[in-house]
Amino acid sequence: MEHMGIEPDRIHYSWISSAESTKFVEVVKEVTEKVKALGPNQHFAKHEAKVA
Amino acid sequence: MITFKLNGKKVQGEEGQYILQVAEKHGVDIPTLCHHKALDPAGMCRICTVELFDGRRTRFVTACNYPIWEGMEVKTDTDVVHEGRKLIVEMLYARCPEVPLLKKLAKTYNIESPRFKPEGDDCILCGLCTRICKKMGNSAITLTGRGLELNIDTPFNVQSDICMACGACASLCPTGHITLDRVNNLFTRQKNVRTIPSEYEMGLKGRKPVYVPYAQAVPNTPAIDRDVCVHFKTGGCKVCAEFCGVDAIDYAMQDEIVELEVGSIILAPGFEPFDPSKFDAYNYANHPNVITSMEMERVLSASGPTEGHLVRLSDHKEPKKIAWFQCVGSRDLNRCDNSYCSSVCCMYAIKEAVIAKEHAGDDLECTIFYMDMRTHGKDFERFYNSAQEKGVRFVRSRVHTIDPVPGSDDLAVRYVTESGELQNETFDQVVLSVGLQTNPETVALAEKLGIELTEGNFCKTEIFEPVETSQKGIYVCGAFQGPKDIPQSVIDASAAAASAGAALSSARNTRTLVPEVIPETNVFGERPRIGVFVCRCGINIAGVVDVPAVRDYAATLPYVEYFSDNLYSCAQDTQETMTQIIKQKNLNRVVVAACTPKTHEPLFQETLINAGLNKYLFEMCNIRNQDSWVHKNNPELATEKAKDLVRMAVSKVALMQPLEEAELQVNQTAMVIGGGIAGMSAASTLAQQGYETHIVEKSDALGGQALNLFKTISGDDVQEKLSHLIADIDQNENIHIHLNTELKNVEGFVGSFKATLAADGEENELEHGVAVVATGASALKPEEYHYGDDPRILTSLELDRKFMDKDPSLKAMNSAVFIQCVGSREPDRPYCSRVCCTHAIDNALELKKINPEMSVYILYRDIRTYGEREYLYREAREHGIIFIRYSLENKPVVNLDDGDITIMVTDHVLGRPLEIVADLVTLASAVVPNKNEALARFFKVPLNDDGFFVEKHAKLGPSEFATDGVFLCGLAHYPKPIDESVVQGRAAASRAVTLLARETIHTSGTIAETVPINCSSCEVCISICPYSAPSFIEEGPFAGKAQINPVLCKGCGLCVASCRSGAIKLKGFDNDQIFAQIFAMNEAV
Amino acid sequence: MSEWEPKIVSFLCNWCSYGAADLAGVSRMEYPPNIRVIRIPCAGRMSPKFALAALREGADGVWVSG
Repeated sequence: MEHMGIEPDRIHYSWISSAESTKFVEVVKEVTEKVKALGPNQHFAKHEAKVA
Repeated sequence: MITFKLNGKKVQGEEGQYILQVAEKHGVDIPTLCHHKALDPAGMCRICTVELFDGRRTRFVTACNYPIWEGMEVKTDTDVVHEGRKLIVEMLYARCPEVPLLKKLAKTYNIESPRFKPEGDDCILCGLCTRICKKMGNSAITLTGRGLELNIDTPFNVQSDICMACGACASLCPTGHITLDRVNNLFTRQKNVRTIPSEYEMGLKGRKPVYVPYAQAVPNTPAIDRDVCVHFKTGGCKVCAEFCGVDAIDYAMQDEIVELEVGSIILAPGFEPFDPSKFDAYNYANHPNVITSMEMERVLSASGPTEGHLVRLSDHKEPKKIAWFQCVGSRDLNRCDNSYCSSVCCMYAIKEAVIAKEHAGDDLECTIFYMDMRTHGKDFERFYNSAQEKGVRFVRSRVHTIDPVPGSDDLAVRYVTESGELQNETFDQVVLSVGLQTNPETVALAEKLGIELTEGNFCKTEIFEPVETSQKGIYVCGAFQGPKDIPQSVIDASAAAASAGAALSSARNTRTLVPEVIPETNVFGERPRIGVFVCRCGINIAGVVDVPAVRDYAATLPYVEYFSDNLYSCAQDTQETMTQIIKQKNLNRVVVAACTPKTHEPLFQETLINAGLNKYLFEMCNIRNQDSWVHKNNPELATEKAKDLVRMAVSKVALMQPLEEAELQVNQTAMVIGGGIAGMSAASTLAQQGYETHIVEKSDALGGQALNLFKTISGDDVQEKLSHLIADIDQNENIHIHLNTELKNVEGFVGSFKATLAADGEENELEHGVAVVATGASALKPEEYHYGDDPRILTSLELDRKFMDKDPSLKAMNSAVFIQCVGSREPDRPYCSRVCCTHAIDNALELKKINPEMSVYILYRDIRTYGEREYLYREAREHGIIFIRYSLENKPVVNLDDGDITIMVTDHVLGRPLEIVADLVTLASAVVPNKNEALARFFKVPLNDDGFFVEKHAKLGPSEFATDGVFLCGLAHYPKPIDESVVQGRAAASRAVTLLARETIHTSGTIAETVPINCSSCEVCISICPYSAPSFIEEGPFAGKAQINPVLCKGCGLCVASCRSGAIKLKGFDNDQIFAQIFAMNEAV
Repeated sequence: MSEWEPKIVSFLCNWCSYGAADLAGVSRMEYPPNIRVIRIPCAGRMSPKFALAALREGADGVWVSG
């Protein structure tokens, strides 16, 4: 991932059972925070052609 | 509709609405203190003041109770408005400087300290309490006094009988002025005012009078607790009815008595946990840190009262030391009447200790105080061993007293160690592992039904008929039959269903209603015409998400031909309207943006079918459970999210294709492999249900291991019972017995298996729809304790044989020794053989019966007479049988000198070596499975490390395999006594009947499919699939390429993701469909 | 835009995390509104291609949960 210029924190994995709603919310918060901290994804995203 | 301007934007509201309501809908924030949506607005606090321009001049009005009118202009965000609010806050803050709510408000308005003199009150006189009290139909409290003396109180400042302590005032009070304590001390004369304890949370949390008993309840609809609901006391309130969007609340509903005519009855009333309050010495009733194991379950649960944070209840401190006490309310005749073992507590205590350590970290000290560790279930012994490795401490001691440590919330525990030393230890928390007992109501029911109970108040059943009560036609399952765990209860349940169903089998399919089949429209090659239905779900979605905006947004998406919003999409009439619209507008794809597909997808698919569309031309997007309900404070972003989700769904559904569900005939014949107790029970159950059944037995007789057994624990002659059972099987027309027969090969899959049977050098083919594996196990031939060196050293089964032969030598013996765990619970066989403790004790008693003067010793590690088998253990001690415990590290030694057998063992009480001269040594040899690898391969079913077959699910699917159409019972699953083998045989048959009775199977449409031409024959899919669905094509142009059996595929997609050639597609979740969803995201960025 | 909000594509297993997400809704819990859920039949269905495609299409994060 890093090799391709993607920050590892952009991709998250987790295992949550269907009864663990609390854990689900915790993970959402954590993932959102980490991605937010990285700022917008610019390295890999398809850049739109800039019209002069 | 009334149109007016709100902060310069045109907005619409309905006639009679107030400014606040419209502002809320449009996400405009107006602060309130005295407002509550359940009450009529009062305009008391005036903090909601807004600026109103009526065309001529500007006025200030309170937004909560000012009705909207055409053309008005409202501003909520001007400097003047803020100034006014600030002054109000400043004055209230001066009145109540300590109230958190006002501190927070003051901070928002940058007020450091009010200019007015602080008063130290905590009531802002908002009147919410008095208004809600009136709404409750009670008016027990009111505003009393005038001017500066204005106050909330009961009339004349006396505690009244009028106040029913419903707590509505306290629940609404924004400042904390009114608390339940205040209600208790000043308002009401009722005593013991408290929150309503939630039954599900074991009273550790409160609940409302309108409540869903627990999150997974079926049906998942709220109920009103009439005993506590205020409406049923005063006729007031009715708030729930006002808010219910579908008029579902009917206060006049009465309990009904419904009469049903039934052919049989199954009793499954369960158990109640033992209440340890009466054990004064444990202080359960008085000390918050002494809790029951059921309470501990809730504390450890992520959705429990502490959200899974392990804290003790007195001070919410994280405990560092927790103790579990076993056998609280079990194996106890001194302090309660439950002398049986509750079977499940040892295992659940270990589980709780391990989970507690997982939650709190390794430095949490967990100690379990026990008498015998009873981990006799499948894989339980391994769990016990691993708990010890993880640092859970096991202390063999029964603790008598728990003393609170003065000046702290800790608990002092005094106990005697094995070596007799008195120990004092302090714990932060003590968990009482409470036993299972039958509820008195169940006992009363049993009496009414005329059902016999056992000494422990469980339902009395026969060993060979374990789910039949003493009343014909009434069956029993679960913990009412005897204390048991989940897998055993599930097995019972299937067996009871089979027994109850046998009587009704002739009536099968006689009352089935056949739905009208609507021909499916062919949409192949058509341009997508998508209909988008956005659901409001009353206010559940529309209260947060701007539904009209989402609907209008959907209209702009490609291929969308129709769009609308529904109040309740799942309502019957809406469904009919949707069907009509699909037909009229010729829609060929449908998107419903509503709740969750997990509950509602089948319903909407039904709608599609009714409209003549293939049900897979559908996609749901979840804008309630995963949007409006979880983002209610962020309506703007929630609406944004809903639009994204709709766009993603629309782009996916455009690519959906009609999918076919193949129909497959189920061969109505069953094959049972193994003719032991379990196999015969399965066969007779299948035959009773009317299915032709073949028993394949490799030996020359039916009966299996039961042929070696003498008596059951209730004293029945096993051989006599067995011969009846075999005779019944012999005479049954539906059962064909193949003795001396071996299974050579099995081909096919659920519904159409083909087996090759070999007997007398001849091979025959047997076609069958389902198979039951009952291949059994056998007794280990011991390799220790001089087994085989002397005829007086034998195994338990060999002793049974002596009893059966009425061997006269037994009477002459003076001393007999039983050695337990021979080959079980050893490092290379780390499981408990479950049956040996009971068997040894039973045989020891039999020896005592033959010669009461005989000295009988049982050398054991833990006595595992679970359930009501415990009575036998008690009886054995009463008869003077001597129990000596040994440890794995210090096993007994058997010596043969000059024809004498002597046994050396270290006595666990004296700690000294003991020499016993024995005339008879019986070894409780392990139950060893017939590790049948060929069979495992034939049916593609797994074996575990010990050689037992692995069931579909350890708890919920104990009698079936993950492979469809193959079922499991008896010793091949795990060691078990006769009654449990009988019941599992029935259970396996019962599960098989659910398949046979359908006659045809429909495959799912969302399954994997190969494109053989792209396949590189790498075999990864074949090795990775848990359901054995992929295989290589055997002939034709694509021979050697992979194919997927649609019947076996569960559509998990594992093979699709692992296919390196891109040769597998998952219908309904294919790459292009998921990519379409991902690409649709792009537009949002 | 007041503050930049990331978009996170979430691939949730139908039987596990998707159920947890539903239950979170039933329990009226609150969490940041940044995730966009794609329901997959099982986490085994997940392919690295999906994660890369999502990032390439401009998603700021990817979350896979079984």
